[in-house]
Parts: sequence; C-alpha cells; structure tokens
Amino acid sequence: MDVQERIYLTPTPIRIWHWLNALGIVTLCVTGAQIRFPEYVNIFGTYKAAIRLHHTAGIVVALSFALWLFYYVVIARMMVKLYVPTTKDLTSGVINQALYYFFYFFTGTKSNPHEESPTNKFNPMQKGAYVVVMMILVPLVIMTGIVLMNLEPLREVLVLFGGVRVVVGLHFLLACALGAFVPTHFYLATLGHTPFAHFKPMWTGWEDHSDH
Amino acid sequence: MKTHILFLAAMLASLTFGSPVWAMETDECMECHTSADDVGEGNVIDGALFAQTSHAEEGCAGCHEVTDEHPDDMQSPTMSASCEDCHDVIAETYAASAHGENAVCTDCHNAHTALPPTSLSGLQMNESCQECHESADVEESHSRWLPEADVHIRSVPCISCHISSDKFVITLYVTQRQDNRAYADYELVNYQQLQQHVGDQSVTSLVDLDQSGDVSLDELSSFYSDNDEKGLRLWAMMTPEEVDHNIQTLDNRWDCTYCHAAGPDSMGNSFVAFPTVDGTYQRVPLEKGATLDALFGTPDFYMVGSTRSKILSIVGLLILLGGLAMPIGHGTLRFLTRKNRRKEH
Repeated sequence: MDVQERIYLTPTPIRIWHWLNALGIVTLCVTGAQIRFPEYVNIFGTYKAAIRLHHTAGIVVALSFALWLFYYVVIARMMVKLYVPTTKDLTSGVINQALYYFFYFFTGTKSNPHEESPTNKFNPMQKGAYVVVMMILVPLVIMTGIVLMNLEPLREVLVLFGGVRVVVGLHFLLACALGAFVPTHFYLATLGHTPFAHFKPMWTGWEDHSDH
Repeated sequence: MKTHILFLAAMLASLTFGSPVWAMETDECMECHTSADDVGEGNVIDGALFAQTSHAEEGCAGCHEVTDEHPDDMQSPTMSASCEDCHDVIAETYAASAHGENAVCTDCHNAHTALPPTSLSGLQMNESCQECHESADVEESHSRWLPEADVHIRSVPCISCHISSDKFVITLYVTQRQDNRAYADYELVNYQQLQQHVGDQSVTSLVDLDQSGDVSLDELSSFYSDNDEKGLRLWAMMTPEEVDHNIQTLDNRWDCTYCHAAGPDSMGNSFVAFPTVDGTYQRVPLEKGATLDALFGTPDFYMVGSTRSKILSIVGLLILLGGLAMPIGHGTLRFLTRKNRRKEH
C-alpha cells in the first residue's frame, strides 16, 4: 500500500503570482494576436480594446514578476537555491533527468530521479528551463513591452535598441517563445505520479507524495 | 511660321527648365515685392517659393488689381478674384465641413506659398493648424481616447485623419540630433545642414547613393550603417497625397483598423523627402515595400498591425509550433507505452 505524505510545496505568494501570470500571459497572447493580425482575429470588439487590455495585462504580468522576484530574492532568499543549476545538475543531473523523461519514463523501468521538496522543487532540466524563461525571456519581453508602451518618453532607449521595428520584432519573437513554453509547461505538469498531481499544489499549496 | 516654332520652343523650354514660372507682368511686381526695404515686411513675396505654386501661372494680376499709377497713387491694390472663383468645389466642400464656420481660406493658406502636400514636410502641413490649435490642447484631447497619442501626433499630420482623402504614403524625412549633441532630440534637417553632409553633391545623394532617382533597400540599409555616428536617422510620417477640404473628425478614423489592419492600398508606397534650398521638399521614391522589410528596412517605422513582417510572422509561428512538439511527440509515446508504467505499479 502506498504511504501518502503531504508536503507544503508552494507558498501563497507564489501561487498568487503563478495564477496572475497565467491569466496575464493568456490574455497577452490573445490580445497580442489581435494586435498583430487584426484582419483575422477580433475577439475584443475593437482594436483599441485589444490594445488597452494588452497594456493592462502587460502591467499586471510585469508587477507579478516583480512580486515573484521580490519574494524569492528578499523574503524567501531561495532564488539561487531553487533556480540556479549546480555543477552536479549540469554534469550528471540534466543527463539523468533527460534519460528518465525520454527513455525510462516510456520503458517504465526506473522512477523519476528527482524528488521534490520545498527547498529542491525543480529537477535539473526544470532549473535550466526556468532560468532561461524567468531570467531572460520574461525580463526581455517586459522591457521591450515597456519601451513599446512609452515610445516617445523612451525614445533614447529605442535608438539604443536599434529602432522601433527591431524592438517590435524582438517583442514578438520573445512572446512567441513564451507562448511556445505554455503548452510544454502544461504538458510537463501532467507527468507527476498522477496526471493532476502537480496541478493541486499550485492551487492549494500542498502536494500528496506517494512513497512506493 | 519660323517665328511661331521659335516661340513654341521658347515656351516649352521655359516650362521645362525655367525656374520661376509666372505671367510676364508679374516680373514687374517682383522688382519691388521681393524686397522688404521697398514694400515693407507685410508685402514681401518669396519669389522662388511663389514660382512653385500653381498660383504663379495666374500671376499677380490673376488676383490683384492695381492702377496704372501704382504705387505712386498710394492706393492699396484691390482683389480682382477670390479663392472661390477658381476653387469653387473646394470652397463648397469646405463651407459644408465642421471647420467652415471657424476660418476662411486665408486663415490657413497664404496664396503666395500654397503648395501641395507632396512638396511639404508633415510638420509644415501642421503649421496652419497650429495657428489656432495649441499643441498641448491637441495632445490632451487626443490622449483621452487615442492610445500612444504622442506618437500619432508626431507621425501623422493633422490632415491625414481630419480630411476624407484616403490616398496615403509613407514619407521619410532626414532628422539629426539637435546640434549633433549626444542624446539631444532628433529634428528635421534643413537644406544647409544636409549640404554639409554631402559636400558639393546633391542632397539626395545622402540616401540615393547612385543618384538613380530612386532609393533601393540596399541604399536605405547603407544610409543607416554609414550615418549612425553622425546622428542622422529617418523619421517616417503617414502623409496624404491629396488634400480635400472636408475638414472634420471622420467616423472611420475612430476605428484604429482603418490604418492598423491592411492599411490603405497605397501604404506600401514610400518616399524619402529631402529639403530644398527654398524650404520646400523634393521626394525620391523608395523601392516598393522597402520600409516594411523586417531586417533591412527603416528601423524607425512600424505601424502595428498593418506593416508586420511576413517573415517574422512565419518564424513566430514555427516557434509556437515548436512548443507543441513536446506535448504531441512525448504525449504520443506516453500513450503508446502506457502499459509499461501500469506494469510497474
């Protein structure tokens, strides 16, 4: 018989951030699609409504990112521990984790080499992916978005970037990369010991650990 | 017969090469009316500028009437014609517009300098509007409903939205940092400033390097790579090709997609406008679609929605599809191998 153990995996500020972020990013993707392709997408009635909503969602995501950063860096002081891959992660951890996901998971011959805990939430592959997403993609998409929302006041920054066309292109491609991360993120979340095992702690904070 | 041919040849030559084109009696007027010392500031005409207007063909006598004793009789000239006499359709359209009661023709136009929009910068087009409409008020009233109002006001002359003409082009103007100081604002350069950059060559050679009469994508790209350190950039405006006088706030302009969807058909047409010695502008056509090129077009122009790059859209789509690789690929194998995991449990 399985022994069920409950651990408090996701603190409240992180859950608030996560769902604000999720709602914000979905809104940004849909409004962004209307802004770029107004002939084909018209969900929000008018173009202006899509722009206003895009701006609002962008501000919400930027603020929630700041909340996330503040919580992990200043309050929990766990940013480096949780997110930055260690040397061991990079040398053997990533390979073992990749072997599990792309081989042993299918053969069913080995279990997940990573054991979640509040101080070690992410496996080496997750750490790598989140460092890229949260430390590069999200800040860059926020920065380019802020520049595009304030073209006149931030004209110097615009010139520094190389002009409005360059900033728009960067913002669009970065947004596509983040958009591409959403289905991958959603799918990987179903790879727990049950398909919904990883969804529950993001809502309640608690995860049931199954000890086989 | 020979005299006739010579006369026709002289006429043709004057139409083709002649600089000032005006009726002969106008020369007499210009003897005095180009000098402020002779006639006073209020009565001076800029001859070179006047010659470029279509009014020059009518000459002074087309509108003004003076006595044979002028100016010794100290009588002011009388008007022999009004604007409406020639511009009857425009006058009728204007009178019926929301603006008709607020200003008469001469409040906005000086007949001696009236030029089509194709010979003016976007800023010059706005000058007559700004006589009455303060910039701060314009920005404040537009900010109430228009996203990025400041960018729109800088990039779209008033008449692009407030008249019903619908033929627009993108016009790129050469700008430079004020006094070439680091971080100073960019402003339009005049003919003399531009001349300093090109030496004894034509000012158009700044961008039209081979002087072919049009600007290619390569030349546009070279302009940006060669002139960055000189603080030179191009500033794009959406300018009308024709001006009717139905001045009002047009219903379709409230809808952003009027410009920001496919855009008016001619939006793909663009020009680089260079200042001339008399303060007007001459345009050199830009290779079709050059302003819209994702990588080598002008980095300073982008109209969200309507000038998106097809190449970037395709790259973006591929990135998004890449995001489905894991769920679809891994998910399929996961489904096919589900028995292996069940066995373990």
